[in-house]
Amino acid sequence: MNTEVVIVGGGIQGCSTAYHLAKRGVQVTVLEKDWVSRHASGVNAGGVRLLGRDVAEVPLSKAAMALWPTLDEELEADTGFRARSLINIAADEADMETLYKRREVMHGLGYTHEQIIDQKELRERLPHVSPFCVGGVVSETDGYAIPYQSTLAFRRAAERHGARFVEGKAVERIRKVGPNWLIETRDDRYECKHLVNCAGAWAEKMSVMIGDNVPLTHSAPMLMITTRMPHFATPVVGAVSRPLSFKQFENGTVLIGGGSKGFADRDNNRTRLDYKKLAIGAKNVAEFFPIMKTASINRMWAGLEAYMPDNLPVIGASVNAENAWHAFGFSAHGFQMGPIVGQVMADLVTGSKVGFDLHPFRIDRFERKVL
Amino acid sequence: MSDCFDIAIIGAGPAGMSAAITASAGGASVIVLDEKARAGGQIYRNVTASPLPSPEVLGPDYMKGRQLIEAFDNCAAEKLYQASVWHVGDNGEILFSYNNETRRLAAKEIIVTCGAMERPFPIPGWHLPGVMSAGSAQVMLKAEGIVRDDAIFVGTGPLLYQIVAQYIDLGVPVRALIDTTPWSSYASSARYTLDAATKPGMVVKGLGLLGKIAKAGIPVYRAATGLAIAGEGKATSIRFESGGKNYQLKADHFFLHQGVIPNLNMSRALGLELEWSEQQLCWKPKLDTWGQSSVPSVAVAGDGSGIVGADGAAAMGDIVALNKLFRLEKISEQERNQRATPSQRTLDSLNSFRRFIDHLYRPIDECRIPQQEDTVVCRCEERTLADLKQGFELGGKGPNDLKGMTRCGMGPCQGRQCGHTVSELLAQWRNQPVADVGYYRLRSPMKLLSLTEMSAFSEITPRPVYEDAMADKEAV
Repeated sequence: MNTEVVIVGGGIQGCSTAYHLAKRGVQVTVLEKDWVSRHASGVNAGGVRLLGRDVAEVPLSKAAMALWPTLDEELEADTGFRARSLINIAADEADMETLYKRREVMHGLGYTHEQIIDQKELRERLPHVSPFCVGGVVSETDGYAIPYQSTLAFRRAAERHGARFVEGKAVERIRKVGPNWLIETRDDRYECKHLVNCAGAWAEKMSVMIGDNVPLTHSAPMLMITTRMPHFATPVVGAVSRPLSFKQFENGTVLIGGGSKGFADRDNNRTRLDYKKLAIGAKNVAEFFPIMKTASINRMWAGLEAYMPDNLPVIGASVNAENAWHAFGFSAHGFQMGPIVGQVMADLVTGSKVGFDLHPFRIDRFERKVL
Repeated sequence: MSDCFDIAIIGAGPAGMSAAITASAGGASVIVLDEKARAGGQIYRNVTASPLPSPEVLGPDYMKGRQLIEAFDNCAAEKLYQASVWHVGDNGEILFSYNNETRRLAAKEIIVTCGAMERPFPIPGWHLPGVMSAGSAQVMLKAEGIVRDDAIFVGTGPLLYQIVAQYIDLGVPVRALIDTTPWSSYASSARYTLDAATKPGMVVKGLGLLGKIAKAGIPVYRAATGLAIAGEGKATSIRFESGGKNYQLKADHFFLHQGVIPNLNMSRALGLELEWSEQQLCWKPKLDTWGQSSVPSVAVAGDGSGIVGADGAAAMGDIVALNKLFRLEKISEQERNQRATPSQRTLDSLNSFRRFIDHLYRPIDECRIPQQEDTVVCRCEERTLADLKQGFELGGKGPNDLKGMTRCGMGPCQGRQCGHTVSELLAQWRNQPVADVGYYRLRSPMKLLSLTEMSAFSEITPRPVYEDAMADKEAV
């Protein structure tokens, strides 16, 4: 079957790219090996975070942040987005030093969205924080959204503009036939002009078939969620140097992350939890917020996620093949950038001007290093 | 492998106790975990430590649990009570809460004997305070000796009649029994009378219960339909139709029951393959004749494998344990087959009788599949039939999609209460067999776990005496 663009991967990057392309009248098909939002895009912590981004990501992340409050209207759906602010807590003076240094760098680049707060203000914003915490840094625009709903919102909007989604079809072969790409699943063949690789934890397999090597790895960041608790935290909470991250939803449940990783069994689409590490995470939360000692854990899970060695994504053109484009390797913080990445990918595919410096995200950035 | 048990058994009901007796006698290092303070499971709850002055009043079926418990107490298996298992991995890892801490152990083979739970009864008002399951009422009686005066019992099935009879024997006034068994069930189950004839004693016992209820002068409303419980903030009345007449009865306590279904949370969290049983209208793990699941190291026995009753569970525990001994190379295949024969015969004849019971007390559609828009389906997240319908129309065609869209099944019970209802609803809406619809994917922990407990970790290993015993055995 013929189509202008095939996107491999039905996560938020793939769905957002499909939406932006379809909206511009491009004929697009998304091939998803499981079902839309099955992996990282469906089971992540839903953080919509600008705070603490690598400086290379800040322009994209800022642009995405401007889009989030408008998405429900634009996509005619409920992404569950709430702007609640995000505070990274400083546990000691060394953390405060880290924050001051970061402020210098950020101000030097003209970024002022991260505000350092002192102990008093920290306690005002988070009355239940442990007394030992000395301050922190806040980004007011940040918050959270519901990942599954957000990804589905892009999918539905894309479908309304004519995009096609094919689920349960893994891509087995990709090759160039003349000017076109021929993409084969077990049962079907797709011929298209442009190929977009948004295959997440499986993206390096696609890259190799396209002709690009990339040092992508995968892992399984773990999360747990509590039963409903009395409301005690409005902002999303993180920490400057400790693996702490949680948010309390409107229904009172508390989602605890922190980046500790379980075991990824990518070939079988499965993850296994590392309970010893989760135990450390649990201890940490209760240390920062004693009220959490009373929490009951309702569910724990992990999702398969793609990581790059520098924790920056790959966004841009293939270096070895024409009309192939990559957006993957978001290293567990790509959800927030989904809305803008789709726009960038659509610009790339349609040959429009891209308003961002994609140099830090090129796929061959590690090839040039001499070992 | 001193840090690893041969067999871990989860649940000390009839299946678990019987499996432990057989397995430990066969030379395996066995640990049994149960969340309660003593062995017995739901059926023999507290039979060795009853709060009642004379527990005999609860009947001989209850009292006979004492024998099994005694044999279990005397077997060599290690027993850990008040151990609440919240994770079982297909790698043999078991995590549980014990003494406010998280403990971990590993086993080569796992036998899941987590028993049954009562089938949800999703009629209008079933979520109101004042409504509880008849099984919970019985647990209250067995565990704490608490009863409720002037309650109304609603539903169908042996357990319902049994607890009404127990109330009568204790002299507790019962307001009414509203029986939902349709007249057609008596006729259609007649073709299984041959099956019933395999256990004539049990038929007589069943008839005896109904006779006792009639004789006690309790109002019995037969073949009731159109049930709805109502009340402001708490249940105060029930409406229904029986024999062509409409009734409204008032009470403070309503005890509902329409049979039991396998407790699936552990099977599902383990990722065991399930199959839909049309006879029992429930999901159950897909097992071979030795109770082996789709995960080779994991077997399931007792009501958790499909409803078999207490005696069937004990027989199955024996069969499964013999197979585990064979897998551990403690006995030969021939010895396994030979020794399993008596229990297999018992199980076969009980299963024939079960066919009769399952048909006679088949819960009616309107009490399983909610009809009214405002009937609550998911009690944890307070999702109604209307909420689910909306989710279905927005694309929630499978149980997991629907969960993602509506939060139905995401609460603390992890879908235990609504799982079957959702499967049957989706089957109806999709006009497909329930088997094609599937069931929720589940996550750890299988039950709520306190964050503080989670923070503390320690390991449990077999007692060294086992190593000695094993060495001795090998030396001989």
